[in-house]
Amino acid sequence: MNFINELIRQITTYATIYSLLTIGIIIGGKTGVFNIAGDGIMLVAASVSFIVSYLSNNWLYGFLFGILIGSVFGLLFSFIHEYFKVNQFILGLCIIILGTGLSDFIYNLIIGVRLSNPISPEVPIIYIPFISKIPILSGFLNQNPIVYFMYIITFISWWFYYKTRIGLETRGIGENPKAMDVVGINVTLRRYISTIIGASLIGLAGAYLPLIITRTYSPGIDGGRGTMAIGIAIFASWKPQRAIIGGFLFATIEVIVYQLQIISKTIPYQFILMIPFISILIIMLLFRRKIEYPSSIGNPYNRE
Amino acid sequence: MIHKSKLNQINISLSPLHDILIILIAIIISIIFFSILIALLNYNVTRALLTLIETSFGSFFGFRSTIIKMIPLTFLAYAFAIPSMVRFFNIGGYGQMMFGATIITIIAFLFESYNISSYILIPLLLFIGFCSGGLFATIASFLKIKGDIDPIISTIMLNFVSLEFLYFITQNPLFADPIAGHPTTRPLPTNSLLGNWYGIPYSIIILFISIIFIFYFVRKSKIGYEILATGFNINAAEKFGINIKRAIMWSFFIGGGLAGLAGTLEIININGRLISGFASTNGAQYGLFGALTALIVGGVSPLAIPIAAFFMSVLLVGANALQRTMGLSVYVVFILQAIMVINIVVIRTIFNKRR
Repeated sequence: MNFINELIRQITTYATIYSLLTIGIIIGGKTGVFNIAGDGIMLVAASVSFIVSYLSNNWLYGFLFGILIGSVFGLLFSFIHEYFKVNQFILGLCIIILGTGLSDFIYNLIIGVRLSNPISPEVPIIYIPFISKIPILSGFLNQNPIVYFMYIITFISWWFYYKTRIGLETRGIGENPKAMDVVGINVTLRRYISTIIGASLIGLAGAYLPLIITRTYSPGIDGGRGTMAIGIAIFASWKPQRAIIGGFLFATIEVIVYQLQIISKTIPYQFILMIPFISILIIMLLFRRKIEYPSSIGNPYNRE
Repeated sequence: MIHKSKLNQINISLSPLHDILIILIAIIISIIFFSILIALLNYNVTRALLTLIETSFGSFFGFRSTIIKMIPLTFLAYAFAIPSMVRFFNIGGYGQMMFGATIITIIAFLFESYNISSYILIPLLLFIGFCSGGLFATIASFLKIKGDIDPIISTIMLNFVSLEFLYFITQNPLFADPIAGHPTTRPLPTNSLLGNWYGIPYSIIILFISIIFIFYFVRKSKIGYEILATGFNINAAEKFGINIKRAIMWSFFIGGGLAGLAGTLEIININGRLISGFASTNGAQYGLFGALTALIVGGVSPLAIPIAAFFMSVLLVGANALQRTMGLSVYVVFILQAIMVINIVVIRTIFNKRR
């Protein structure tokens, strides 16, 4: 029982990264902006937030700076995309390289090379009275504040997109921006806001890595998760409530493989790691009529 | 759906003079930005810029490392540029490169006990490397044709598949080097290795042959013409009886094949063994740099892509020297390159809109 509880706790810790990233990508995608630059944004957010929290010895500042960096990149992305109508994917590729460079550059500039890796301040775990004693549920809940934040943001984004009028309009922008413009909605502004909010969640996921998972920064800390999340977003049909399921699925595979590596070196666990990616492609191939896309995704919006 | 999106910013046909002008403007803007950044950090700007450019030409060692970086970069730029002729992004250059390299490593070890002449084995390995990279990329085009999955997504997913396959081979007890600290195979048998001429690897000859082949393929062959027509207007091409499915398949096969060839050459000529992480330089994937290089050029030009790749490698080699001599992080050059490419794309879009 204890073992299962520990496993669930670990999976939840990892699932938070994927869920936050995926929701970040989905929020942008709902208005038609496909943000493939997740890796770049995450890396910069990771390095800056680690430096800030290490120097100030306060984990909260780290997360706030992660969000800030994310939103700055979101602004940059949406400005270049909306103003110059540059292709989103080209821009995404450039920002990945920019982020890779910027993150390690900032880290080397401020922290430099040390003999022992600096360690970030510890993030407290929040216990809810009574619930923290229930065996299985406690694995999901006795966690750091960001996990709770992830649950809340999943709920809020589901509520926003499917229960409110503004959310419906915002979804409409992804489907048909011209029609929404005719109705009198400021399409460009909505796209800016969505991209910035989405990117700030990606930044938060970036900050999560050095502050909670590794407790220290190293180059390439994201391990390609920013691109994996694109797969989860598609797997989730661009629905925030399904993003969390996809996040847990990926995290489960990651944790189980990690455990397998510890148990035995001869099991070809690499093939297990391939499963999610191959299954995304197979799911897309089999259910291609059921997977929904915001129809305007990938296109810049031109008024004329 | 994504496939309806107008990805028309990849191949914008401007006159060559315009293009050179755009690239020059972009380089100047990004160098100004870079200089400001360096100056703000209290480094000597002129010395940094000189180091960045001069390292490749100052010493033979610098020139050699530039060539070594330039060869895979050119191949991967073509791997991005050729599928972009039919307006699809191939981000899987990274995966195709690793897949080709992994397959030829297995083949080379299979023939280990037979004593085959290098003159037979090496062309065989190059051929297999090309085909395996190409077939791996063809999966993406197949998924596009059959399942309408955008190649951006499928190539990203396939990159991860290829990466895990590489880890599987490098950690497999049959091939792994037990002494090495990180996943690496044993050195390849000597009859599968290409030599070098005073330090310049022979793979540059294969690069030249490939460029001639690409030129012939794009400009003169029937399939090249079909690819061009499909990219120009897919509906018109279909109406005129061009087999667009075949055009898409071939563009991915050739593009992926060139990436596979790059991986093969990297193994048999530079590293001599399969090392995990061989497909990256200075900490970022060759595939991404290849895409950036192709974006600088903005088309499949037999002459411009090698020049752009050489320029990018000069910067990468210069960045290493920058760290050695001035203590400035290697990664500063990524910022320079990314800003440069963003500038080029933005300026090109503006020019295109005006006309």
